[in-house]
Amino acid sequence: MKKKLIGVLLCTAMVGAMFPATLFAEERTTFTVGFDAEYPPYGYMDENGEYTGFDLELAQAVCDLRGWELVKTPINWDSKDMELESGSIDCIWNGFTINGREDAYTWSVPYVDNSQVIITSKNSGITTLEDLAGKVVGVQAASAALQVLQDEEQQKELADTFATLQEFSDYNSAFVELQAGSVDAIAMDIGVANYQIKSRSNGEDFVILDEHLNAEQYGVGFKKGNTELAEQVNESLMELLEDGTFAELAEKYELTDMVCLGNEEAAEEAETETETAAE
Amino acid sequence: MSFTTMLSQMSVGMMRTIGIFVLTLLFSLPLGLVVSFGRMSKWKPLSLVVKFYISVMRGTPLMLQLLVVFFGPFYLFGMNIGGSWRFIAIIVGFSLNYAAYFAEIFRSGIESMPVGQYEAAKLLGYSKGQTFFLIILPQVIKRILPSVTNEIITLVKDTSLAFALAYMEMFTIAKQIAASKTTFLPFIIAAVFYYVFNLLVAVVMEAVEKKLSYYR
Repeated sequence: MKKKLIGVLLCTAMVGAMFPATLFAEERTTFTVGFDAEYPPYGYMDENGEYTGFDLELAQAVCDLRGWELVKTPINWDSKDMELESGSIDCIWNGFTINGREDAYTWSVPYVDNSQVIITSKNSGITTLEDLAGKVVGVQAASAALQVLQDEEQQKELADTFATLQEFSDYNSAFVELQAGSVDAIAMDIGVANYQIKSRSNGEDFVILDEHLNAEQYGVGFKKGNTELAEQVNESLMELLEDGTFAELAEKYELTDMVCLGNEEAAEEAETETETAAE
Repeated sequence: MSFTTMLSQMSVGMMRTIGIFVLTLLFSLPLGLVVSFGRMSKWKPLSLVVKFYISVMRGTPLMLQLLVVFFGPFYLFGMNIGGSWRFIAIIVGFSLNYAAYFAEIFRSGIESMPVGQYEAAKLLGYSKGQTFFLIILPQVIKRILPSVTNEIITLVKDTSLAFALAYMEMFTIAKQIAASKTTFLPFIIAAVFYYVFNLLVAVVMEAVEKKLSYYR
């Protein structure tokens, strides 16, 4: 009998361990941004160990306007959808490519024009996309570059000519592999490519191919259907554009050539996207 | 980022790593003992359930278990999992997993005790509880220490799996610094941190072992 009792207690304890104190929803006072902290210049750890970057400073500016408290939550990029879906973050704001994911999230207005590019070492002899045939090409797992290379309508054909499409988790090891010759080229966002070339001691050994894989745009990704929050952020972004804060930040992170916020075409495009996404 | 900032950032992470380590041990060791009782129970349904629990915990990756514990409440019950749940989930995940391993270690120790000791204790008028806690358990602890040390050292290194839930423990921070500074120096520091920590664990456990071998 005693043993049965212990058994019952045991089972209760196991089940009990799975139910924490129920957490509750409240009025918005905080704004939780999920980002990959290994993604400079959009989100990374600065000299003092604080999280910063173009996107995070922009998010801070939006929060200042709205009176929200910004909570910077570094996430594991592979589980970004689970984080967003479950509500542990309010949005993904981290050089997040809209194209190809239009229907998966509710988007803010696009604010950066981005391209996916190929980076390779100077003496590799690769100068065009065709030269990549039979080569090993690296790409970050779950990244936009990977999506482009797997999409039938985009660069799947090109990717099929590669010897292997090698997925890796962070750019640091990818660059070492490139240097060591275990991969011949890496596909990535142009902003990231520029940062890597600039910040590496041997940056001049690397070169970005003139031919780009595609052109695309960055936006802030909200949980699908969360148009209210998306619109609030849009409104604030437009205010930041008008008072010049946006341009200042773009200059600070050397992204002036790439920002596209307020570009009318882009805005219209986003609006239709928001509408479709809200359906 | 200077070397000292790097070190101080990673020390902050190391504190969190140690937090996971200490709390996991605190919960998983007693839980492991309880689970081992369940595993050895003569009441079949209980021992079967516990056997299943152990086989799932040992048979699936810890990283996957962490994801299930963290995201499970949302996907199963639609609960909001913001705030401190991230850390709690890590401790729950680690404790449940390590309890399974510790349970088997305890079982190996307990089952290795000769039946004669129980019989002698009974003759001398010891109750079941007294027999276990005063006679059996002290000997069991001595016997299983080396295997427990093994598990504890593995735990030190396993703490890095908390990255799956984006918890900023030492190795996650090392990776972030490595990314923003495009250097591998943080990994070398991380290796030294882990090694020193484990050296400490090994030294402490050896001292405990020596202290407990009072009959030799």
